[in-house]
Formats: sequence, C-alpha cells, structure tokens
Amino acid sequence: MRLIWLLSLSSVAMVLALWAVATGRGWVTPIFLPSPEMVFQEARLVFLSGDLAQDIAMSTKRVFGGYALAALVSVPLGVLMGVWRPAKAIMDPFVSLLRPLPSITWIPMTMLWLGIGESQKIAIVFVGSWIYILLYTIESTKRVDPLLIRAARNLGASDLALMWEVILPGALPGILTGLKVTLAIAWSCVLSAEMIAAQNGLGALIWRAKAWGNLALVLVGMVCISITVLIADWIANRIERLLLPWERNRRV
Amino acid sequence: MSATSPILSAVAVTKIFSAGRGRDVTAVQDLSLDVFEGEFVCMLGASGCGKSTMLNIFAGFEKPTSGAVMLRGKPILGIEPRCGMVFQSYALFPWKTVRGNVEFGLKMQGISSAQRRERGAYFIDMVKLRGFENHYPTELSGGMQQRVTLARLLAADPEVLLMDEPFAALDAMTRQVMQEELLRIHEASGKTIVFITHSIDEALILSRRIVVMSARPGRVKAVVVNDLPAPRHVDVQMSPQYNALKMQIWNLVESEIRQHDEATRRLSRTDE
Repeated sequence: MRLIWLLSLSSVAMVLALWAVATGRGWVTPIFLPSPEMVFQEARLVFLSGDLAQDIAMSTKRVFGGYALAALVSVPLGVLMGVWRPAKAIMDPFVSLLRPLPSITWIPMTMLWLGIGESQKIAIVFVGSWIYILLYTIESTKRVDPLLIRAARNLGASDLALMWEVILPGALPGILTGLKVTLAIAWSCVLSAEMIAAQNGLGALIWRAKAWGNLALVLVGMVCISITVLIADWIANRIERLLLPWERNRRV
Repeated sequence: MSATSPILSAVAVTKIFSAGRGRDVTAVQDLSLDVFEGEFVCMLGASGCGKSTMLNIFAGFEKPTSGAVMLRGKPILGIEPRCGMVFQSYALFPWKTVRGNVEFGLKMQGISSAQRRERGAYFIDMVKLRGFENHYPTELSGGMQQRVTLARLLAADPEVLLMDEPFAALDAMTRQVMQEELLRIHEASGKTIVFITHSIDEALILSRRIVVMSARPGRVKAVVVNDLPAPRHVDVQMSPQYNALKMQIWNLVESEIRQHDEATRRLSRTDE
C-alpha cells in the first residue's frame, strides 16, 4: 500500500520537475506554457485577493442549485418510470430526443428565456444532468431483485410498504452511483455556461484570463476545478457510505 | 369444519407455460393433493418435475391453468401470506440487519416496534442467532442466512410453511444440522410444512408423508407414508426399516427417470 502511494507521489513529482525544467531552460516559451512558479504566484495573488474563493463559491452554488433540482425531479420520476410502464411509455420519446443534446446547445434558448443571471446557469446545470440521474434511477429501480419483491409480498407487504421497504432501498445503490457520475457532468455544464456568459465563477475566471493572455491564471483555474470536483466526489463517497451501511463490507 | 378436512389442498391442478414458439410446457398435470394440519409433507422428484411450480401455486405466485388450490377450503387467488415461503436462495433483504429481516413480517402486520423487538428476539433465539442481530446478511454464512430466512418466516406466523429445497445450497454437514433444527421447530410449533426436495434421504428424515412426483409433466406418482419413529435422529438411517422405505421410493423414482429419459430421446429424434 505504501509502495503504491510512493509510486503515485513520485510520478507527480516527475511531471512537475519536467515542467519546471522545460520552462526554466527556455525549451518552451512562457507564452505557451508558464513556469510552475508563475502559476504559483498567480494562484497566491487571486487567493489573497479573495477572488478565487468567491469564484469557487459561485460555481459551487450554481452546480448544487441545478443538480439538486435535477435530483429532486429525476429520482422520483425515475422510480415511477421504473415501476409503472405507462409512465415510461409517456416519457420515453422525450428522453430519447433530449438525451443526445449537450447542455451547451441549451445556452441560446436559456439566455433568451432567463437572461444571463443565476437562474440561467442553474437551468444549464439542470438540463445537463437530469437525464443521467433519470436513466440511472430507472435502470436501478427495474433491477431490484424480483425474488425480494416476491418475498416481501409473501410476508404481507402492501404496495406502499413494498415501495418503501424493498424497491427504494434496493434501487438506492444504483441511484447513488448515478448521482455521483452526474456530479462531474454537472460541473462541466456550469463551466461551459460560465465561459459563455458570466461575471464570476471558475469558468468566467478562465475565460477572462484567456482574454488577458494570462495563461498562468488559466492554469490556476483549471487546477481549482480539478480539486473542487475531487473534493465534491470525496464528500459524495462519504455520504454514500453513510447511506449504504450494508454495502460497507462488500467493497473491501 | 371437521378435524379431517385438509388445511391445504390442490384440486386437479394443471399448469401450462407457453414457451413462445408453439411448444407449450406442461409443468404440472392434474395434480391433486391434501395436506393436513400439522403435517410434514415432502414432495420428492427429479429436477424439472414441476414441484417448484406447484409450490409457487400454493403461495399464490403463479395461477394454475386449470384446477384450484385451497387454503382451509377457500381458493387461493393471489399471493397468500398465510402460506409462507422459504426460498432456496434465502431472499433476505440485504439492506436490513438480521433483526430487520426477522421483524419484517411483523412490521407488515402493523405490530408495534416494542412487540416486534420481543417476538423477533424469540425467533432469533430459536434459530440460535443471538448475538448476530445487528449483522447484515452478507456478513453471515449460508447456513446462518437460511436460519434467518426461517426465523423471518416463523415470526410472520403463517399457517403453512412452503419450503423450496431450502437446504440444497448448503454443505452436507450444515444441511444435517439444519434438518434436525427444522424437525425440532416443527415439533415445537406444530406448523404444517410442505417441503420440496430431490433427496430421498432428506425426505425420509424429515417427513411423515412423501409425495413422489412423476417426471414432467408433474403428477403424483405415489404417496408413501413414512412411519419411521419420531423424534428422528440421523442414526435412523441405519435401520432396516429406513432402507426398505428408501428402496421402495428409489424404485418409484428410478422408473420415472428412465421413462423421462426415453421420452426426451424420442422427442429429440422427431425433432431432427
């Protein structure tokens, strides 16, 4: 285990060193790739000015607004579509038509309807993520072991009890996997929306830096996105473990 | 109702599964059977003889194509919680602890949580799982999981226990222990049990009456009264009486398997 850690750590150090050497020796001009120190300096500046924290906070707020809304709509809808065929029949054509559309294709329409404020960003995150949550939820609801449903019925479960005691907990691991996968998608949605029209947020930060020709700041923005998404993922994993105590010993 | 009326009965039950492309499969044909209160009946037959189908019909999971099944003289029309099923693959809820699983039926009956706890504990004790209340099924061995299934069903207090090869997935030693447990529980609870097996030994150790099924389509080939002395222990297998019964049943089963094999061969020849 420690060896694995060591390997990962040294590979990161290698790449950083290579980067430092390549820029330090002038193999690459700073216009195409700024040196690690320049990036670090830039990061210190935006961090100390408080701009970075504000951008991260803004993007995070938008992601969670749209994402929470998508989960709120798609999880119940997906369960319904998983257990009740008519609901699936009604919804299926729309799901098929909307699924291939990337969220950026919604930017013109949402800007026309909602302007360029917060609600538009939230809308972009919503349209980019609801369908994935929905598809995962439908699949995991349909995959609940029919034998368990039979057993529950045999033990006297009513429709409501069956839903609450068997179908929902049975589908929960799959639903949570879908939510986790969608979280990263939601982040990419907000960034593209911010790049096109926003005053703040990590996407806007990167776009502004590009306009100023400040590549170091672009890199700062990119690293921040990675770290923020990683943290969000880590939190999601903790929540998952908390919600699925019975799966704990399975995934050693 | 007189004392001799059956608790569970099948009246001329036929079950045909349509297999899509024309050829229907008759799983059970014209099967009639009466099971009496407190009885331990084994249905014995080779794989594919329709014995599981018959059990599913008793539980109300499947509807007979013709004929009827009755519980205390009333037809069984839907899933019937008074006919509780023990599944071969346990069918425990993986997200519930041992206690949660055992108390499930009680919860469905709307029993208060304090009472559930008390009655659940009684049955967890009965299947010797005290100390494992807070374990999840995946943390238990196969034998322990099957005990949880048994406790879950007993706690729900059905009138008839339907058991579909419940010990088939267990190793030989665990199976023997479970068989003795089941006899003890049957003795203590007086429940009616319909038990499916393809093991003649298992049928002889457990039951009072053995229903030998014919190969597909499933019919009652013979009913053998198992008058080995009770309470039984494994050493009953040494007695000459045991061997005589085993021989008798084996002869019935063997001729069935032979006939079935020949029929299958004939069928495949006409197919070619």
